[in-house]
Amino acid sequence: MTCPYLEYRRSDGDQEFDHERPYCGVTEEFVSPMKADICNDRFQFDHESDCELYKDHVERLAEEPVADDD
Amino acid sequence: MSYQHYLDQRKLILTVATTGGVHGKDANPNLPEQPDEIARQVRECEKLGAAIVHVHGRDERGENDPERLQAVNDAIREECDDIVIQNTTGGQSPYENRVAGIRTDPPPEMASLDMGPFNRGQHIITEHTRHNIESLAREMKEKGVKPELEVFNNGHLNETYRLIEKDILDPPYYINVILGPGTFTIPTPENLLNMVNNLPEESHFNVLATGPHQLPLTTMGAILGGHVRVGMEDNLYYDRGEPAQSNAQLVERSVEIIERMGRDLATPDEARDILGIE
Repeated sequence: MTCPYLEYRRSDGDQEFDHERPYCGVTEEFVSPMKADICNDRFQFDHESDCELYKDHVERLAEEPVADDD
Repeated sequence: MSYQHYLDQRKLILTVATTGGVHGKDANPNLPEQPDEIARQVRECEKLGAAIVHVHGRDERGENDPERLQAVNDAIREECDDIVIQNTTGGQSPYENRVAGIRTDPPPEMASLDMGPFNRGQHIITEHTRHNIESLAREMKEKGVKPELEVFNNGHLNETYRLIEKDILDPPYYINVILGPGTFTIPTPENLLNMVNNLPEESHFNVLATGPHQLPLTTMGAILGGHVRVGMEDNLYYDRGEPAQSNAQLVERSVEIIERMGRDLATPDEARDILGIE
């Protein structure tokens, strides 16, 4: 399973590429080739345990206050 | 090797590391990734005096792919005259990917051999056990592949001695002293000097330093009688805030400095003689 925040983009405003490249929806930046192995859960990697960006993001989401119903 | 070797004007081996596995074109669009564009840049560097090329494979999206090593090797052989090909067995890959670097057809004349793990990110340590290192070294020996021993820190130098004591390596030992961030050796002139002072007998050393340390510490390595590696794998900038235009731009500057210091560059064949590559 790949990271839900992984996208593949061919351009990012200023930059345009011949091929799509891995892009992190959390940091809103392209990621390095080595990092993409973690985003894609390739080999022995798991984004949930190995990616600090994913972990921090999920923790922040969990800490966000929930609106009261009343 | 020593300062005396510099005074004696021993030949210097220049290695170019064009691509690596860390950066993509998003970091510098001039970084070559595909076999043909890597080979074209290698050819330019060979013409300038590079004797060895350190090779990584990428897929068409620019992500690491050891299966592309064969295509990159083929493209370099097609484009270049005689440069020594040194495939990677490094990075964070599992063993199957590491060993792909010495199972191309034909095998490369050289391959990198990390002397231990190092950290990447908050949760990753590159998996590189003593068992794996020894397995790679033994297969390299069987195939006549000369290992470049990647010494990322002092502890990795201990591991180099360990392999020598176990008679797994053949002299002369070619040791790449690596300075940079994270678990690499802290990049200072004093630390480079310390590493060089602790090298085994019968060894040659090469200096790899990342980013802004590439130019000053490789120059210092040349003065200490060592060899030099430059290229966009280790450094994406020509100057502060100025992205490198090509690998050749970095090689050209180093060649100029090395020659002005009075050292001659080794041709690929001379590099083979120095390193005992048959």
